[in-house]
Order: sequence, then C-alpha cells, then structure tokens
Amino acid sequence: MKKLACVIALSSASFFAQAHNVTPGSSPEQAVLLQGGTLYTVTQGTLQNTDILMLDGKIAEIGTGLAVPEGARVIDISGQHVYPGLIAMDTTLGLVEMSQIRATVDTNEVGLVTPEVMAHQAFNADSEIIPTVRYNGITHAQVVPQGPLVRGQSSLMQLDGWNWQDALEKGPVGMHLTWPRAGLNTAWWERRSPEAQRKANEEQLERLRDTFNTAKAYHQARLAGALNRVDQRWEAMRALFTGDLKLFIHADDRRQIVQALEFTREFGFDLVIVGGRDAWMEADALVEADVPVVFGAPYGLPSRVDDAYDMAFSTPAKLAEAGVDFAIAYPGFWDTRNLAFAAGHAVAFGLDYDAAITAITYAPAKILGVEEQLGSLQTGKQATLIVSKGDVLDHLGQSITYMFIDGREVNLSNRQRQLYEKYQERLNAD
Amino acid sequence: MKRIAALCSSGILAVTVAWSSAAGQTTPVQGLHHHNPTLVALTNATLVTEPGQRIENATLVIEHGKIRSIERNNRAPAGARVIDASGYTLYPGFIDPYSNYGVEAAGRSANTGRSASPEYTNEREGGNASNMAIHSQKDWYSTFKADTDAAKAYVEHGFTTVQSARLDGIFQGRATTVSLADTLPNYAIYQARTRQFASFDKGSSTQQYPNSLMGSIALIRQTLADARWYGEAQGKTTGSGRVEFNAALAALQNLTEQGVIFHSNNEQDLLRAARVFAEFEIPITAVGSGFEYSRLDEIKASGTRLILPLDFPAAPDLSEQFAELDVSVADLRHWERAPANPAILAEAGIEFAFTLHGMSKRGDFWPNVRKAVAHGLSKDQALAALTTIPARFAGVAGESGRLAAGYNADFLVARGDLFSDGEIVSVWLQGEETKLKPMHPSNLSGTYSLVLDGAELTLELTDNTRIQGKLSVGDESVNLFNASKTDARVRFSADLTDLGMPGVFRFSLNQSAIGQLRGTVQDAMGRVHAINAQADSDSTEAASENGGDDASAVADFVGQLTFPNVGFGRTEAPSQQNLHIRNATVWTADDQGILENADIIVRSGLIHRVGQNLSTPRGYTVIDASGMHITPGIIDEHSHIAISAGVNEGTEAITSETRIGDVVNPDDIHIYRSLAGGTTVAHLLHGSANPIGGQGQTIKLRWGASAEDMKFTQTPPTIKMALGENVKQSNWGDLYRVRYPQTRMGVATIIQDAFQQAREYEQAKRDYENLSRADRRRTAPPRTDYRLEALVEILNNDRHTHVHSYVASEVLALMDVVERLGFRIHTFTHILEGYKVANEMREHGARASSFADWWAFKIEAFDAIPHNMCLMMEAGVLTSINSDSNDLQRRMNTEAAKSVRYCGMDEHDALKMITYYPAQQLEIDRYVGSITPGKHADLVFWNNHPLSAYAQVQQTWIEGRKYFDRADDLAKREALEQERQALIQKVLAAGSEAQRGNRSNYRQQQPTWHCEDNHDVWLDWFGEHHHDHHHGHEFGGAH
Repeated sequence: MKKLACVIALSSASFFAQAHNVTPGSSPEQAVLLQGGTLYTVTQGTLQNTDILMLDGKIAEIGTGLAVPEGARVIDISGQHVYPGLIAMDTTLGLVEMSQIRATVDTNEVGLVTPEVMAHQAFNADSEIIPTVRYNGITHAQVVPQGPLVRGQSSLMQLDGWNWQDALEKGPVGMHLTWPRAGLNTAWWERRSPEAQRKANEEQLERLRDTFNTAKAYHQARLAGALNRVDQRWEAMRALFTGDLKLFIHADDRRQIVQALEFTREFGFDLVIVGGRDAWMEADALVEADVPVVFGAPYGLPSRVDDAYDMAFSTPAKLAEAGVDFAIAYPGFWDTRNLAFAAGHAVAFGLDYDAAITAITYAPAKILGVEEQLGSLQTGKQATLIVSKGDVLDHLGQSITYMFIDGREVNLSNRQRQLYEKYQERLNAD
Repeated sequence: MKRIAALCSSGILAVTVAWSSAAGQTTPVQGLHHHNPTLVALTNATLVTEPGQRIENATLVIEHGKIRSIERNNRAPAGARVIDASGYTLYPGFIDPYSNYGVEAAGRSANTGRSASPEYTNEREGGNASNMAIHSQKDWYSTFKADTDAAKAYVEHGFTTVQSARLDGIFQGRATTVSLADTLPNYAIYQARTRQFASFDKGSSTQQYPNSLMGSIALIRQTLADARWYGEAQGKTTGSGRVEFNAALAALQNLTEQGVIFHSNNEQDLLRAARVFAEFEIPITAVGSGFEYSRLDEIKASGTRLILPLDFPAAPDLSEQFAELDVSVADLRHWERAPANPAILAEAGIEFAFTLHGMSKRGDFWPNVRKAVAHGLSKDQALAALTTIPARFAGVAGESGRLAAGYNADFLVARGDLFSDGEIVSVWLQGEETKLKPMHPSNLSGTYSLVLDGAELTLELTDNTRIQGKLSVGDESVNLFNASKTDARVRFSADLTDLGMPGVFRFSLNQSAIGQLRGTVQDAMGRVHAINAQADSDSTEAASENGGDDASAVADFVGQLTFPNVGFGRTEAPSQQNLHIRNATVWTADDQGILENADIIVRSGLIHRVGQNLSTPRGYTVIDASGMHITPGIIDEHSHIAISAGVNEGTEAITSETRIGDVVNPDDIHIYRSLAGGTTVAHLLHGSANPIGGQGQTIKLRWGASAEDMKFTQTPPTIKMALGENVKQSNWGDLYRVRYPQTRMGVATIIQDAFQQAREYEQAKRDYENLSRADRRRTAPPRTDYRLEALVEILNNDRHTHVHSYVASEVLALMDVVERLGFRIHTFTHILEGYKVANEMREHGARASSFADWWAFKIEAFDAIPHNMCLMMEAGVLTSINSDSNDLQRRMNTEAAKSVRYCGMDEHDALKMITYYPAQQLEIDRYVGSITPGKHADLVFWNNHPLSAYAQVQQTWIEGRKYFDRADDLAKREALEQERQALIQKVLAAGSEAQRGNRSNYRQQQPTWHCEDNHDVWLDWFGEHHHDHHHGHEFGGAH
C-alpha cells in the first residue's frame, strides 16, 4: 500500500501544470481493515497492536486479531499510531488564501454587528491551503468569521469536500462575539488617557448590551406575533435565545472573561470562551459555570511584559489541573497545520499527553456538539482517523501515512509536495 | 516679640515702566525723558550668594540692573531706596538652560498625516541643508522677543534667565540666553549666540528621511562629517567644481566650543547621542528623561552633563480590581525611584541642571524639588542645579547664577527655606521687582476682643483661602458676611441684632501689628466707630520659620533596581565559571557528532575539552547533566529583537549609512525570553523596506549588559538588502508610487547604480590620495559619504550582504547584477524559492537562511515550501533556519525539526541549521556554532531530545556564564510577584498623592518589529491612526 501512495504522489506531480488541488476521496465499496496499530482511542485508552475495521463510513469494530471480512482492503499499520482526526478550532481556513491580497480574504463583513453571516457560505473547498493542513493530520476545521463585535456564525467543515455543501460537517455551530476590551491598551501608539480608554470600554460594553437586549426583544416580539417584519440580524440571533446555538465569546483578558461570564449568566446562553489567554486566572469560575475554553495561544509570546516566558506554553497544564474543559486551537489558516505540535509543546510544559490529544480531538468535538460522531475511536462513530508513523504531537514522529474522513481515504498530496517533487526532479537531473 | 509689619512694603515698589530706564541707548525718546532711580538696598537679609555660601545680616545693593555691592556692615548707601528684608533670604535668580521662551514655534506643514504624499527632498533656500530637519544655521536671538505671559510661568517659580531656541528638528540652531524681564530684546539678551540645540526628532520636517532613530543618528553622523569636510574644503576647489556655499555646515564649525545641548527621550538615547558626537570628539550636555539612574555607570562614563526636567511620574491608577494587569513592575519601580534620580546622579558626581521644560504641570516644580531633596538631594546641590550649573550651560557664568558685584541684579526674595517649606515672595529681574506675594503677609486668623458701643465682643476670624468668622457676646453669636481681605485689611458685615445691636454693621479693619486690628465700623445709622481689636495671646499662627537641616534624606525602596530595570532583570552580571559538565548527551554540531555520556570542560569561557570520563580539574564546578542533552547556543541569522525606534529606515531606496548597531536596545525583554529558548546569538537586521537597507549588528544575548557590551564584536560587518514586494512598495498604498524602484526591473537597476557610484567614489578617494602635496593643498578632499563607504566595503568583501528575497526571478537577477560588478551575495535570507534556483545559488557561492514553513501570506510567498531547506542542502547550499520573529526565536529547535518532519533531514544536520551553519553565514564559526574545543562555551541544556516538541531548555550559558536557569526563573517569578504586590500596596497607601505627576512619563515598550514595519517614528499622526492599521500580522509577521 505504501507503494500505491507513492504512485499517486508521482502521478499528481506529473500533471502539476494543471493540478491546483487534489481530488476528494471516494467512498469505498468494501470494508477497510487497519491491522496492528497503536490506537489512541481518547475515550477508551491506548490500545497496543489493535485492529480497526471501517465499513460504510463508520468504525465497525475495534479489537485484536479481527477477522478479515470478505473483499476487505487490508492495510498493515503495525508500528504505527492511529488517532481520531484532529479538529482545528477557531480557524479561517477556506476563507483566506493569501492574507495580504484583499480579494482572497473573506473573513470580515462590514459593521460591528453582523450575526447573520455564516462562514461556511464563503468556505472555498478548493483552497490550496487545505491539503497542506490535512497533511499534518487535521480532518476538520471550525471556520469562524472575524470582526470587532458580533462577528457571525461558525461552522464545522470536513477538509476533503468538493464544495462547501459537501464539506459541511455541521453548521452553523456557534455565534461569535469579540468581547470589548476590558483593560487598557498599553501599546506605544495608544494616545488616549487611561480615563478615556476606560470610558470607551464602558461604552462598548453598553453597546453590546443594547444589541443583545434588542435581539431579545425582537425574539419575544416574534414569538408573540407582535412583529411581522424580518430583520436578518436579529433573526440570526434567535437561535441563541432558543438555546439552539452556542455563544462563542472571544475573550483573552481576565476582566473580559469575568464580564463575559456575568453577561451570559444574565442571558442564559450556552457559553464557550475562545482565546482564553487569562482563563487560568478564572479557572474556578469557569469550572463552576461549566464553561469550556478554546485556548488559542498554545504558542505565542507572553501578553504582558512581566509574564513568565512560558505563560502561553504552560496555560493548558494549568487549565487541566484546575479541571477546566478545554480544547487547544491554533487560530489562523495555513499555520493551523501546526496544531498538533502546539499541543506537543504544551506537554513539554506540563500537560499530560492524553489530555493534549483530547484537547485537539474529543474536546473540540464536544464543544461543537459532534462528539457522538467525531473525536474518538469508538465503534459506531464516524470512520474519521489518521495513521502516523510516529507520535503525532512531535515533529520527530509525525508522518501521516493515511487519513480517512467518513471512511473515505484522503489524498495527502498538496501543492507544496508537488513543488517539492517537481524540483527534486530538477536537482536529480543535474 | 512680635514684629511690626511694614506697611504695605511692596506698594512702594510700584512697578516702573518697563525698559524706561534703559531705552536711551539707541532708541530715540518720544516725549519726556524718564530717569527713575535704580539704586536699591535690601537690608538685613540673609544672602545665599551661591550654593554653600551664606551671609547673614547683609545688604544687597543694586543699581542699573546690576548688583553694585554686597555690604556686610548692613549699611545702605546714601540715597538708596531701602527695603527691610529682615527675616528674608535672597537667592540668585534661577536659570533654565533649556527653553523655547520668546522664540516662535515651528509651523506645521499642511502636508503631514497619513494622506500626505511622501516628500523626498528639501526646498533649498539661502544655503540651507539638504535635509529639512537641519536648522543649524539659525541664530535664535535674531527673532527673539520678550513674551510676558510665557515669562510669568518661569518667573513665578524663581527663574530670571533662560537659554532659548526653537525646539524643532535634529540640529536646531544656536540658542540665545536671555533675561525674562519685560524689556527690549536688546537688553534682555545676555548672550546672543550660545549652544547648538539638537535632538533625534526631525520635528516639523515633512521630508521622509529620516523616519527612524537609526536614520536620525546616521544623519547626525553624516552632517558632522560634512561640517568637517566643509571646513577643510574652504578656499579649495573640488573635482566637480567650486565648493558649494552651505550655511548649515558653516554654522557647525567649532561645535566643541559652541557646545551642544541634546534632547534625549530616555537614557539609551542619551547614550546614543553621546556616542555619535564622541566620534567627532564633541562633548554634549543632554536633556534627560528621569531614567538616568537605571544606567548610571554608563552615563557617568560618557562624561555627559545633564539637564533634568523635574517631572516625576504619577502612579498608575490601581484603584480598581485587576487594574494591575495593565501595569508593569518596571513602571511601578520607576514611579517609586524617579524622585531619587537627582540625588543618585549627584551622588555619582554627574553634573546637572534643572529645567521646567517637559513638565506636564509647572505647578509641580517646587513640590518636586522638595521631593528630590526628601529623596536625598542636598539643598546646595539643588540650588546649584538652578543657578551656577545652568549658568555655565547657558554661557552666562560670568554674569548670572550668583549674587556678586557686577552680576545681573536677577535674584529672588524668599521667606523660609525654599528647599523645605519656604516660599518665593518676589523675583527681581534686572533690578526690578516682580511681586508674587506680599513681603509681609498677614494671617489674621485668631480670636480678638473688641469693645463696641460699650459691649465686649469676641471676633473669631479664620484666614485661609477665604476669610470667614463670627462675632459673639457670651453664648450668642452671628456669622460674618461679605468678608474680604486685601493685603492686611479685612472688610466684613454682620447683623448684630442678636447681639443686642440692631442692624447690619460694616467693618473695615487693618492689621497694625501682629495680633492687632485697628479700624472702624459703620453702624445701622451710618455712624462710624473706631475699633481696636486685640488678639488673645497664642491664638495667632506664628510664621513658620522652619529652616530645615541639610542632612540628606535616605529613601527606602521596596522596588528593585536591576539591569535592565524591568521584570526578570539581573541585579548583577553572572560570573564566569570553570565547569566540568558530566554525563550528558552532547550534540557537538561538528564532526564529533552526537556523543552519549560525554563530558565538557569549560575553562575561562571557552570549551576546553569534550570527551568521556574526563577528570575534574581542581577548583572546577561540577554539573551532573545525566539525562540532559547539550547543544551549542542557538544562532539566529535574522532577528529584529532589541532594536529601538524603528527597524526600517524605509524612506530612501538606499540607506546603507544607517546602522542597527546605533540602536541596540538592551532593555528588551525578548532577549531574556530568547535565552529561555536556548538562543545565544542574534543577528539584528534592518528591515526590508529598501533595496539596500542598513547595516546589521550581531549580539550575544548577554541579558543585563549595556547595548555596547551586548555586541558580538568579532563579527565581520554585514548589511541588509531586500528584493520584491516590500522594496517596490507593493503594499504601501497608492501614495507610495513615486519612489524608484516600483518593479523588480528597477530593483536590480538601482542596486547596480548604487554600486557603480560606490566604485567611482572609491576611485575619487584614491585619486585624491595620489595627488602631489601641492595639489592637495589646492584641492578639497572628497567628502566622506557613509552611504557609499558601506557599499565600497561590500564591493571589497569587507561587509557581507544578507538579502531578503523570495522569488526565483529576483534572486537570479541580483546574482547576475553583482557578478557583473565583481562580487558575490553572501547570504540570501528568507529565500522562499531558493529550492528553485539552488543550483545557481551554489554556483554563485551564496548561502541561504529560510523560514521553516511560512507561506501563503502574500503572492510572492505562495510557492514557499517547508522542504526548501532539504532541497537547498541537497544542492550544496549552506542553509540555516532563521526566526525573523521574537516568538519563533524562542523555539528555533522545533523550527529546525520541521525539516525532519517534512523532508526527512538528518537530525544532526537539522540542529546545525540553527547553530553551526548560521555561524558560518555570519563568519563567526571560529568562535561559536559548535561544541568544539577553543570555541566559546555557549551551551544549552535540554531535558529531552533537543529537536523534540517535548524539549524544554533548562540552562543557557554564554562564555561560561549562566544567563538562564529554569529553576532560577521559577524563583524569580515568585520574587517578582512579591515585589509587584509590595509596590502596588505602596501606591495604594500613598492615596491621591501617588496620582500627582506626569501620567505619560513612562517608558513605552518597543513594539515587536517585523521586517516590513515601516513608519515614521517621529510623526505624531502615526500614533493617532495606527490602530486602524492592521499591525498584528495575524500570522506572526508578514515578511
């Protein structure tokens, strides 16, 4: 089978001149049996030398020495590691092709309050970026609109689709809100006085409250039949009040998190904190309110000059210790592919290995409400998994040999591999 | 014995008509000739003639605006107007050596702001400089005029004299020292032409160049060299015609005699200014920032004299919970220690004067002087900083700053000790008094007894800002109303009906002696009665006579003073240790490969031996490194940490004269953070905004050292060049479409042209050297051109190029151009498409330093691949990984590991990409880059395979000194948190007093610089608009 993969790669190189992307995988007729791998099931521990059988897009069976069904494709993966497909939270994948070229950027709608926009509608399933991200084991990505206040709705995409409708795993999955600044901007270019800044922060908060009060009044008026006109914005926000949509609040500063918790308690929303740089400082409150965190800075500089150099690296360990439910994210587009390494780095700074794997598989699935289908290796779940020659969290181990999404094998080639192979030919010819 | 107040003493000195006594010299008199007497004697005074010199019971005699004599026998000359100054102290008038009094401020061009189109040249008129920020030819006496309102703000604090110029631009012109008297300029000007004022800030100049601190320094250097050349060229001819007339350069001749007063924004700028002027052997006097205490020894060693704004910072507002999240320990420390800055400087023997310049509130001047005294500055030192020292700085030491015969009659009259709780009652300017307070003020507070119409009344008065009181008979009392006070006279009304005297009575009383009020009252019938009110003894407030002693106070600090003075700073440099490191896995990054269970002997900062089971030399510290991996210190070929005020001089297309070495910022916390990631050497590069940028500077991350001591001096000179989108200004907006080049064609051509000029320049210099002595006497030497000097060095392989580059075409074009010019590109940096032209690069002899995996942020990065390093190495190109990011610089090990991940690179080779290979690219591989005997003991201890995601740095050593230790770091966090809480408590306990002072008097963090960050650090507009601009480079930087 390894040879086959090579042939696929070489053939794609040969039609490079036309190729801009690789073809999505097709559903196999027959069962696929992966034999003899080390399975990181996430929910049921690590299973050595275990087989996993995939059929009709589902994990049909997990066990040792499974019988080979009639006509099944058998892949020997002994010595290799199997993980659930990695889920990248809080990305702009498919919304951005080249960040500095405006025409290729579909992240920010105009205005402060744009709850009506849905990221999946702009998701470019043919983005050249996506195959390079899959290459590092990511099968799914939450794509999120950007913006200064009420951003719009995110969706969960699987990363091997013909178009966005094909790629849509679940959508929308959440309403996104950028929490107003709660502290002072201490950047050198900020010229407003601390007083003026505090006042501006208050005003932003007031504006936010007004927005939600209006949305709530709209919802109630519609329920009561008192309003016949449709407002796209408030209509989009009704799902928050009916409890059908979670609220993802992007908040990093401690004071933002405190305010966000209070705010949500008042409105009764189902809350997720995204970013969560200071979440460890409010760990108890988050646990008590049962609010999960999508921690967005597993790499990165300390945000304050006096912070410990490893603040970002060691925060996941602190959250885990305090019992906060959290996922690790690597917000961005092309660089989201470093997600697994970032989780590995958190391990270097104290996070338990299994917790790190959970933070990029099961924890995101749970936050997105797809834990019945995704995020762990369990019989009956979607056959979405990756096979790596070594430890997926370590640069020295990660080497994805197979990826399956919903039982379909994913072609791991990509633009960068193709360029590599093309110029290898030039070097070799020399 | 109560003193009898002199009646209305100041009233006698009704202000004489300004300049009337002196108008006669050249101004024809219109109308009558005035001859007011000017002979005045202030008797019985205490004279502080200069710091440390005090004469009691003396008489100061003044006449014609000068001090005529000081009489110790306390006799006034016949005919003098005598003023009894018993109980008063006379000080010399204060001198502010840094001001813009009486000089019109610079106009603001309409062409500023974000929407302004870039200007690259100066309008030339009258022999001015080619740069709009150079005003050296201006003589500010020539437009000087007295300005009554502006003078008042000085005089009320005791100042009589200022040195003044327009505070605008880099060379600002010659200041003038003037009296603050309201008189004709002809009489106010004491010294017409004094010091040349200067700064790094280009001020009102709308010319693009310079837009960075290093650009300003380069411009100063070039201007000083030009001035020298101009002097030498006078009377000679040049190869290109006659020597131009240049008033700006002419004005800079003899700058040492003129003296330079340089405005610095912080102590690093102060040192930078001192250094660039020292290259031309010109000492400077620097206007300080209040941060001098934090780099005291260096400032002392620079020999710079100081002018200190007496502005202390207000504490950050911490009244709300969690407000401290926005506050750094560095700021809290500065709040606590800034008032001690003058005392610390005085103790170190650094000479300084005070200035009112830069004070956010001038009303804070005296409270701050006293605060400085309370923090240990002696009163004599404080007085010297206001009189004798600024007199020298302002070029008037022979006539101002002391009370002595022949000196200007500029002095002040004070009640009490000014440096503890006294007050200035009047200031004399050129022999004429400006009254601030009544010389003999009355405080009428007290309880008085008086008899009215036979009744015994008690009058209670409170005389604070407002006068209030009541009249009573027995238990019955009535409040006073309409109460007012002028000098010693009080007027009030009272309805005395309740006291048995129907109607409203109107009183008018005058203090005839302390404790005695005399006057009249008009009753309800309009009749007038005499009143004589006598105070009960002890009820009046005695005038405070608290002289205070001169013993220096000792301040008590809860904050630390570290190097640099920020969180995680060091209290002292780490000591150099001789080491025996045992039993580690040693990644040598040389031919020895990876050695298991190996020992390293470190002697005198160098690797002495590497091997197994080595014996411990006597006296060596043994470190058991079992389970540890040791690698050489990581070397980053492309870094922008530790740089102040601009990474790009992105104005003109060629700025090879600028030097990152001029703006190394040793205070940057990223130095420490990078050490914590195992990085020991960083090549600090100019940005990528122009085809030929500035000169690079390699540093060792010696956290705590000075900017100079951080420099890795053995590194051969380097320079940044750049190609592609950034230099052709593709992403700069529509206004930036005028600078050549705008295409990759133009980029290649302008580089070719620049080097052609350099060749011709070198030839011209050689031709001059070859002239006969006689010819040389007639011929002006070639002007030193620092821009071309750097290019000549490149042509001669004395300076190595590091070229920001992305796409194949531009790389080939540059190699083609320089091969024809006869030199080779040393290292291509970023070189994202290097894999496409790796063979050509190898043939050319170029090296490569690239990002591990960045791509897709712009079109020229769309063919970047993470396999680039493997392909280039395979082709035989020496390849390294660089960070170009203060974040990635902390984990370059895993950046290198990406080549293992993506293209299976050998692990030891991958490690060499961040150690040995970048050392070769910087030509420092003789010293660093591998664990080889004889090289620097720059070592990193890891707790895991050094390329693994799980590796954590435990220790980082530079030359046998331990600069980072994980365990120490954990302890430092604790200590820092405790210090922070103690400082917060101190701020909170100080209450509102902590909030007094300047809110913006803190050092701002230097931003995270990126290759393409290019803005004018001198323009205000930037700050106002920058937050609209997408600066965050959401993907860690756009390069």
